[in-house]
Amino acid sequence: MVVLEVPFGPQHPALHEPIMFRLYVEGEQVVKVMPNIGYNHRGIEKLCEQNLFVKNLYICSRVCGICNIIHSTAYTLVVEQIQKNDPPPRAKYLRVVANELERIHSHMIILAIMAEVLGFDSLFMLMMRDREQVMRMKEMLTGNRVLGDYLIFGGVKRDVDEEKKNRILKTLDFIEERMKYYKKVFTEDPTIRKRLVDVGPITKTEAMKHCLVGPTARGSGVKTDVRKEDPYDAYDEVPFNLITYDECDSWARMMVRIDEVFESINMVRYCLTHLPDGPYGPKVLKRALPKGEGISRVEAPRGELIYHMISEGKRIPYRVKIRTPSMTNIINGLVAFKNAVLADVPAIITSFDPCIACMERVEVIDIRNSKVWYPTLRQLAGGKR
Amino acid sequence: MKIPLLSDILRNLFSKPATIEYPKVDIPAEEGYRGLHRVDAAKCISCRLCAMECPTGAITMKKFPYKEKEIPVIDLSLCIFCYHCVYVCPVKAYVVSTNYHLSTGDKRTLISEPIPPSTKKNN
Repeated sequence: MVVLEVPFGPQHPALHEPIMFRLYVEGEQVVKVMPNIGYNHRGIEKLCEQNLFVKNLYICSRVCGICNIIHSTAYTLVVEQIQKNDPPPRAKYLRVVANELERIHSHMIILAIMAEVLGFDSLFMLMMRDREQVMRMKEMLTGNRVLGDYLIFGGVKRDVDEEKKNRILKTLDFIEERMKYYKKVFTEDPTIRKRLVDVGPITKTEAMKHCLVGPTARGSGVKTDVRKEDPYDAYDEVPFNLITYDECDSWARMMVRIDEVFESINMVRYCLTHLPDGPYGPKVLKRALPKGEGISRVEAPRGELIYHMISEGKRIPYRVKIRTPSMTNIINGLVAFKNAVLADVPAIITSFDPCIACMERVEVIDIRNSKVWYPTLRQLAGGKR
Repeated sequence: MKIPLLSDILRNLFSKPATIEYPKVDIPAEEGYRGLHRVDAAKCISCRLCAMECPTGAITMKKFPYKEKEIPVIDLSLCIFCYHCVYVCPVKAYVVSTNYHLSTGDKRTLISEPIPPSTKKNN
């Protein structure tokens, strides 16, 4: 049979960000997928090597619009590790609140986009309407509905008072009720089930073999979560459950996200009711970056996010390396397209929760002489030290 | 066939639209929103900390007739409203507001001038 090459993207109604997939189809069946990335590369890592480490906090939080607080958390943690600067307990709890609010709205937007991709526009509108309440809460807590800029080395920038606390708790009740309803829709609606169940399967072995992270791996039954494995901030004190589904398909990945919203709601409630007293930020902002090297792992809404920083004792870092979860999930998750039908491709891509702005980092691919080699981070960073 | 969303869709047919028609209806920002901020010239000690650490370089120091030393002026077309300047200011000289209605047809007006010290204070 003739194999056709169908370009999917970089501009496509189902994709909200520029990425291209070359789909090789035999009739309706996809036989091979080649991703083509690099349309949105902005050189953030290079920018970080040229700016003061204080300014980099704001550059790094602009890597991704949806998950900006988690990026600044990762950057702050790595700088605090080098500075040996421990934030006060109240700041740790407030960071968890901000991060979990972000997780709620990030999961809600991908559930809404999934509904839109499936042609269920009324569900998309309803979810986006309810998501706006979470954005208002984030605006109340951090000062902006999207870009939080909430963290600072050694704490957070602003405190939360009783009135704000009560309003957040009240809104969470509303969100929980609505999410219960949406869970019912996602489990019972025949249209959604027909479009998602058994679509884009990734077995547990494949997920572990290809190093998938976040809800994509948890949807395949892999118990992986940085918040449990390597707790940062106050995650070792806040109780929560690790959500996994064993169905291994697109539907399971979406259900993991719905259940994680409930967990996040409970975590925010716990943090706000058990908020320790004391200072919430540093008395004086530390402006010295001693010589050293640090690495931080955090759980972004899309999976494990890693920041690695090398400092030479100057105010400008030598190297800042960012490894985002979408990078592994998109490139290594292509096994899900095996024997998929062409019409299911947008649904599978959306089930990975792709964040293209996040993943556009430097990568080296040599396909001419199929040579496999593992360069160290130092080699990739280049230059003599 | 059971369609769980049907009741919500039917209810929405007879309810008001959720969209807020923004220019006609104002959407008030939450308390603590990072909006337009200005420097209080009377409080500023011209330490230049905000100008040095501004991530986008939106703050420049300028000379004004009512003050001996230079005072920061914010270029709002460059400003990303991260409020780092407000956070680092040692004397809390920045006056913050929740004003986000900043769109204009003329780029030259996008400059946040300092608040000049009032004559009362000088006396």
